[in-house]
Amino acid sequence: MQWTTIVKKEMLEDFRNFKWVWVPLVFILIAIMDPLTTYYMPKIMDAVGGMPDGTVFEMPEVSPYTAIMMSLTEMSMFGVLVAVAITMAVIAGERKSGVAELILVKPVGYFTYILAKWTEKVILILASYIIGMLVSWYYINLLFGEITIGEFVPLVLFYALWLIFVTTLTIFYNTLFKTPGIVISVTIATLLGMHIVYRIFQHKLSWFPNSLSSHIGDMLNSGSIPSELWGASLVTILVSVVLLFASRYVFRTKEMAN
Amino acid sequence: MEELGINFALLAPLLLIQLLLAIIGLVAWFKTEETNGPRMLWLVIILLVSYIGPILFFIFGRRQ
Repeated sequence: MQWTTIVKKEMLEDFRNFKWVWVPLVFILIAIMDPLTTYYMPKIMDAVGGMPDGTVFEMPEVSPYTAIMMSLTEMSMFGVLVAVAITMAVIAGERKSGVAELILVKPVGYFTYILAKWTEKVILILASYIIGMLVSWYYINLLFGEITIGEFVPLVLFYALWLIFVTTLTIFYNTLFKTPGIVISVTIATLLGMHIVYRIFQHKLSWFPNSLSSHIGDMLNSGSIPSELWGASLVTILVSVVLLFASRYVFRTKEMAN
Repeated sequence: MEELGINFALLAPLLLIQLLLAIIGLVAWFKTEETNGPRMLWLVIILLVSYIGPILFFIFGRRQ
């Protein structure tokens, strides 16, 4: 199938430009940064000094749930940023350099092309994210206390939906704009806009994609999957599917060259 | 490190990641003939800015 051929070609490209090495490393860093600094904060304060003698700091006791939510918060900042940055040029860049034409004059459908690009990037990003979260899980079990596998797996799977959505959004803007720089700025602007809308109408929008991580927090604390989490997941998946089909439509109607 | 009471085994992976990023950054730098901006400047950034330097180079340094 052509689809697998393009996916393989993309995989090879990402191996050659080291994405398969550095993206997982960066996601590991992102995931463990916050839990580790929190754990060592009292020691860092000691080492940096500058406190008058006898200063006593009461550090709040951090539960393992809070610690793993720290990893997710970092993921939603820097993880998303890295995901957008490595996806910003997948189609826009190939259009600019003319590779897209070379591929599309062959009997390759527009949708096959987009879907193959999307699949490869989603595999890369999710694999890196899962590796990062596994390392963070290991550290949190050592430093803060136990998180069972029954809690960890749903957390990772539900949050993966958000990363899939972000990748799909970037692919969509890839078909709309031809310059990677514009793609990254518009994607981040959209994500910020969604964040602001969610912050303002938080209590009304319990199925909004942005609410995924707060529902995941509820899930950890209550021990069962709240219905809003299913709702938000459904909406996120639907929006991603719609965006994929929209990118197909936009890509077909846009002209290739400048 | 020991006198601070910090367990070195816990932080070793961080150092390993930093080392790996710098090495891959260097290899990628050698293989890139045309960078965005001065080539030598990127070498300095990769070697001297820990963690962020190589990442910046991977994302912005190379012509796509």
